[in-house]
Parts: sequence; C-alpha cells; structure tokens
Amino acid sequence: MNAAAAPVADVALSLEARGLAHLYTGRRGLQPVSFTVASPGAVAVTGANGSGKSTLLRLVAGLLRPTAGASVLTLGGVAVAPAARREVVGFASPELQFYDEFSALENLAFAAEARGLADPHGRARAALERVGLESRAGDRATALSSGMKQRLRLAFALLHRPPVLLLDEPGSHLDDEGRALVDRVVDQQRRCGLVVIATNEEREWRLATERIELRGSGLGHPA
Amino acid sequence: MPPNGSSSAAAVWAILRKECRSEWRTRYGLNAALLFAVATLTGVSFAVGRLPDRTDLLSALLWVVLLFASLASLAHAFVKEVEGHTMTLLRLVASPTAIALGKLLFNLIFLGVLELVTVPLFLILMGGPPPRWGAFLLVLGLGSLALAATTTLVGAVVSQTRGRGALFAAVSLPLLMVVLAAGVSGLRAQWDGNPIGADVRLLAAYAAAVLGASVLLYDHLWED
Amino acid sequence: MILRVLLFVWIAAALVAGFLWAPTVEDLGETTRVLYFHIPSAWIAVLALAWSMLHSLLYLRTRRLEHDDQAAAAAELGILFCVGATVSGSLWARAQWGSYWNWDPRETSIFFVLLIYGAYLALRSAVEGDERRARLAAIYSAIAFVAVPFLMFVVPRIYATLHPSPILPQAGEKTGMDPRIRWSFLAMLVGFTGLFFWMMSLRVRVTRAERRRLETREAGA
Repeated sequence: MNAAAAPVADVALSLEARGLAHLYTGRRGLQPVSFTVASPGAVAVTGANGSGKSTLLRLVAGLLRPTAGASVLTLGGVAVAPAARREVVGFASPELQFYDEFSALENLAFAAEARGLADPHGRARAALERVGLESRAGDRATALSSGMKQRLRLAFALLHRPPVLLLDEPGSHLDDEGRALVDRVVDQQRRCGLVVIATNEEREWRLATERIELRGSGLGHPA
Repeated sequence: MPPNGSSSAAAVWAILRKECRSEWRTRYGLNAALLFAVATLTGVSFAVGRLPDRTDLLSALLWVVLLFASLASLAHAFVKEVEGHTMTLLRLVASPTAIALGKLLFNLIFLGVLELVTVPLFLILMGGPPPRWGAFLLVLGLGSLALAATTTLVGAVVSQTRGRGALFAAVSLPLLMVVLAAGVSGLRAQWDGNPIGADVRLLAAYAAAVLGASVLLYDHLWED
Repeated sequence: MILRVLLFVWIAAALVAGFLWAPTVEDLGETTRVLYFHIPSAWIAVLALAWSMLHSLLYLRTRRLEHDDQAAAAAELGILFCVGATVSGSLWARAQWGSYWNWDPRETSIFFVLLIYGAYLALRSAVEGDERRARLAAIYSAIAFVAVPFLMFVVPRIYATLHPSPILPQAGEKTGMDPRIRWSFLAMLVGFTGLFFWMMSLRVRVTRAERRRLETREAGA
C-alpha cells in the first residue's frame, strides 16, 4: 500500500541528518549539518542566502544525492530510503513548475494518477479547494498569477496527504489571505506529522517549534 | 515503503497519457518531426529521383530518412521537461524507471505515427517495388524498437548536458549503427526475396540488450 | 623510475626482435611486421574500453570519483590507441589491398569504436559538475559497451571479411606461425599493456592534482 493513503496521525516519525552535505566544486551547496527532529512538530530552517536551505530540503526529499553524510527518515520505526521519499514527502519550492499546457486541475490530477492515488480527479479537486483555487481549476498553468502558482504548489505538496511536508519559502508571492493559508496548513501538519519550512521570514519561522540555523561555516544547531 | 509493482505501472501509464495529451495540445514535437521527415524525403527524392529497381539504395535511404527524423525529435520528450522546469514535479510523483518507461512508450508511439506517414510516402515517391509486408513490418518494427530504446536513454542523458539537445544526434549515432546496418540489410533482403532471419535476430538481440541494460540504468538517470 | 626504464627497454627489444629476428609470413612479405604495432594497438583499444566500462560501473555502484577518473583516462588513451590501430591497419591495407579504406567489416567496426569514444568524450565535455558528469558519462559508457560486442563481433561475422584471421596463437594448435613471430608479438603485447597502464597512472594523477588544486583554491576563497 501507498503510505500516502494511510492516515498520518499517530505514526511516529523522525528525521535525522548525519553530517549531511552537498558540496560541488563551483556550485551552491550545503556544508555538513547534523540534527534530529521528530513528529509531531514544525522545524524552521533559516540561514543566509546560499547557506543551503533549498539544498537541504531537496536532499531530504530524495531529489538530490548527498556528497557526504546521510539523512535518515523513519516512519513508524521503518527507514524510508531516499528513492522512496517521494511517497511520504510533500514538497513545495519556488523551483517547482507546472505543465503550461495543462490546467491547474489537470496538473494535480496527473500527479495524483502517477502517484497511484485512488480517484485522482477527486483528490486534485479537494487539494485545490484546500488552497482556495477551486474557481481557477480549469485555467491553464500559464494563466495563473505567481501567487496562484504558489497556492498550486501548496496543493501539489498536500495532494497525497504526506506525513512529512517540506516547504521552501512557502509565503513567497502570497497575499495576506495566502499567508493565513500557509499558517493554517503548517498548524494542521505540525499536529499530526512533521513540517520543515525553509525561510528567512520571521512570520514563518515563528510557526515552528524548533529552528535549525544553517551557517556557511558548517554545523547547524537547533536553537 | 518499497515502491510496489502496481503503483509503478500506474505511473508509467499516467506519464504515457500525459505525454500523449501534451503532444496533442501543443503538437509541437510531432509537427516538427513530420515536417522534418517530409523535407528529408523530398530532398532525397529530388536528389536521386525514382529508384524502382535499386533495392539496396531504397533500403538505405528509407532508414536514413527515419533516422534523421527521429534524431531530430526523440530527445524532445526529455528536453521539454528540462526547459519547462517540470522535471522536479515529475520526479516527485514517479520513480526514474517509471518516467523513462513512460517516455519510451511515448517515443515508440511517436515513431509509429512518424512511420505511418513517412513510409507510404517514401514508397510512393521513390517508386519502390511492393514490399513483402510481413517481413518489411517485422524489420521496421524491431528496428524502431531498438531505435526508441537507444534514443530514450541517450535523450534522458543529453537533456542534462549544457547543450541539451545539441549533442543528441552525435551521441546517439554510434549506438545506432548496428540498427542501421541490420535494418538496411533486412529491408534489402525482403525486397530481394532473400531470408531475413539473420538481420531480424540481430535487431531483436540488440533491442533486447539495450532494453535490458536501460532498465538497470534508468535508476541512475536523475540525482540532482 | 626503474619500471619506466624497464618498459622502454622491453618495447625496444621487442621491436628489434620483430624487425630483425622474426621472419615474415609468405603472402604478406614485409607487411607482416605491422602486426607488432597494429594488433597490440587494437588490443589496447578494446582493453581501454573494457577498463573504462568497468570503472563506469564501479562508479555507479560506489560513487567514488576515482573510478570516474580511471574511466575518463582509459577512454582518452583508448581513442589514442584506436587511432593507432586504424592508421596502421589503413597503411597495411594500402600495401596489401591497394587502398587505404575499403569499409571492410573490421575497418567499419574499429571506426564505430572510434565514434563511440568520440561521443563519450564529447558528452563529458558538455556536462557541468563532477558528479553529474561522472554519472551521465558512466550511463553512456555502460550502454555503449552493450553496443560494442555487436559491432566488434556480430557485424564482421554477418558480412564477409578480407581481414586475415586473428594471428593470436590458438592454444596447442600449430598454425604454422613461426615461434619467433609469436614471441616477438607476445612481447609487444605485454609491452603495450605496460605502456597503457603507465600512461593511465600518469593521466589519473594529473586529474587528481587538478581537482585538489581547485578544491584548495575554493577553500581559500
């Protein structure tokens, strides 16, 4: 069974980074970082531009292979390999783009179908309603404003009801109502699962119960 | 949470449907490939005229036209994901193997449609003798399978390079020489009334070898 | 140092033996002597490809960049020896068959191997980032190695060849090859293999030194 379909509450979840790093010659990266966080909760990852916040999230999501160290994500005591992370992780970042030739609904329905979820259209519609985009469901992704695209990213991350939510600058481009939406999403997720937010906005890291600050020099310490 | 078989099949199917629908909406890739094939065909036909009794040249020219058209278009499936920055989305909803298999199936269908237009047109324009259809389609089909398997893997690789599609033809071609040699020899044999067994076996073995290796390699395609 | 001198002396001695001590084969005349260069070159071209492929697979397994260094160095040297085998074969073809290039299946095969090496190196030069370059090149190398047996062995067997059958001594079989030719040839083979691995170690050391220099410069910046 797909983990995403299981109810996420009450599943013990922990995320540990052991000297996790991504260093390329001549590329943005992440200096080695170590931390442990557990559900339920919300963690804010802060740090200067280029300190590796986005890289850290991509590493945890299994999109990037670390050049050193490892991240260990356990769900109910069972480790989830990086290659299988996409099933238990909801990921939203500014670099996430949608298919311009498809509508908002079609984009999400495709994602749901590829993830093997039952009733992909129903799921997609529910996710759009949750982020207040139901009235634009039929609009092509190109026709959406940047704020609406940001909402669509949140809907994409929430689509399969993942136990772990990774949000990279979730408030970017959003209006007040959109920011309130982010607050609600984070608030719900931190009760039943884990949410990691990469941000430098005080409003956003105040939502978190823990904070990891990345420093260019190296170690991150939970504050 | 090991990815189970049924959800992978669902992902492959979803990706194939997404590709077809996307192609139907934009028609960018197919139109370009068809135009390219017809242009090549016209060029060839203009340059050499009708060749009703030169089965050796006909076989070679048909494969050259097909090879040109596919090398101009088959990397598109991956390059458009990279250029649209949609690779992250795709990688978040499907395994690398499911992505590659979905694209492979799409490329096969794409090639089939391309051949459906190009091959009859070629036979009419070049004035070839009527083929032995069974043998003709077998050679063409196995050749296309080997072609699609090779170009799908190479397309996924070159879409991650600096020049995106630019290297595609140059890097694919050495791997397609076996397909070209056996495909040409097979087509010629069916026209000349000779047995096609050796060529068919070679094409089938090559397609199987490339597919087998691809399935093992797909897992490593996207890691950054 | 000692090994290098030894290698030099060994190859020189094998060359002298091949030209002065070993006789020629009846039909081939003096062109026999190309075999002391041509076959070892072709052998190294194939060995380098196999070496490159092996290290590509090892890279995909272990993700250690040293394996990629080996794979890249072997490909660069492979192309060198491949050109050597092609040119020497072409010269021999001119003398024996009357033209430099005949699209003989064996010529065709080696030409394809050359194309694959070229494509591999072109691909490498187009990728940013050590890890990504190593990974993509390894994938290409793996698929190319699947193609090579078809080129090297299937194509020449389907289409008839003029090429002399391999002179490698079939064990125990007295093919009438003069033992002096065989020993000179085997000595050359060993010499070339030694040469290949010596050049490999040089190339790999240069790559490592370059990477270290880049890293120290970035650490300092």
